[in-house]
Amino acid sequence: MKQAAVDAVLEGLKTAGVDFISLLPDSDFSQLQRIASEDDAFEYIPVSTESIGVGVCTGAWLAGKRPALLIPTSGLLVASWPLASINMAWGVPLLLLIPYRGDIGDAFWMMGPYKDTTEPLLDVLHIPHTVVSKIENISGAIVDAFGSTISWQRPVAVLLTGETIK
Amino acid sequence: MKRYQALKLLAASIADDTIVVANVGPISREWNALRPSEANLLQVNLGLCSAVGLGIARSLPHRKIVLIDGDGNLLMNLASLADAANQLPQNLVHIVLDNGAYEGGGGLPSVTSKRTDLAQVALGAGIERSRTVDALEDFDVATREAQASPGHWFIAAKVDTGSVPDLPTQTMDGPEAKYRFARYIESSERIQVLRPRYTHI
Repeated sequence: MKQAAVDAVLEGLKTAGVDFISLLPDSDFSQLQRIASEDDAFEYIPVSTESIGVGVCTGAWLAGKRPALLIPTSGLLVASWPLASINMAWGVPLLLLIPYRGDIGDAFWMMGPYKDTTEPLLDVLHIPHTVVSKIENISGAIVDAFGSTISWQRPVAVLLTGETIK
Repeated sequence: MKRYQALKLLAASIADDTIVVANVGPISREWNALRPSEANLLQVNLGLCSAVGLGIARSLPHRKIVLIDGDGNLLMNLASLADAANQLPQNLVHIVLDNGAYEGGGGLPSVTSKRTDLAQVALGAGIERSRTVDALEDFDVATREAQASPGHWFIAAKVDTGSVPDLPTQTMDGPEAKYRFARYIESSERIQVLRPRYTHI
């Protein structure tokens, strides 16, 4: 991930008013995670599985925070249970920021299945999503997605692909 | 030790403003009967009680948070103990009513009825104030001490299976419970939780 993309994500999160971040360390987001975890603008809780991250963000939102979960495509599968049993069932907002491994242009064979799972799973979970492929569009997409998730009280996802994660 | 009797002791000692997060099933029904309160967040689904409680505890460090968990519930997400322990919360009391069974799921045994000791697991995860109690008097002492003192507490209470008859029916679904709890946080903390917008972003 280029530094310009990292900066754009952080700008978007701060402009949106996100003040709480949870994540499981992931190679695609490692630089972003390191910076975000050390930024005083965010409360930060690292987790051992993404399902815990969804729960932690739910508790934070109920307690007045504005959370975001940085989550890889594989982690979205892990998180599907709490996304269904809390976010869908109760109507709880959550910004999901996902580096879209397995999108067209990702040549790593092991990422292939995530093209089949990621967007269909978001659809099944009734999670609206936007796909961002240009760095210049990252910040605005995050601001828009965060406003929607908070107001609609359902998760909204931003998928980062193309030059945004290369 | 009967679970309902243990919860009755907890209800007698708990402060009005203590936030309680409880897992779905008989525990939530019994707690709702004993301590009906807007400060309760009940029916949190499998494996998520400790995670949701951690998020609240971290966000409201000046409030006491009590988790009333079940053994099967916690076993689904044991790593949450480690994640919570490493945050060093000073306001979190995690009570597991360990009946060694999936009572809400039909009563088959859980691993705590055999070799697994949750208090030892919690200790290994980094929760130093971790203990097991198997008598009502010890439960009362342990939960009162944990409520009165800062830190991260873990209490595995060995209880029998079985509930009590004629518990009041829980009539709130998830969305209503969410709104009620969020409005309670807004009024008790004087902050805004719900933020509907009426314009474009």
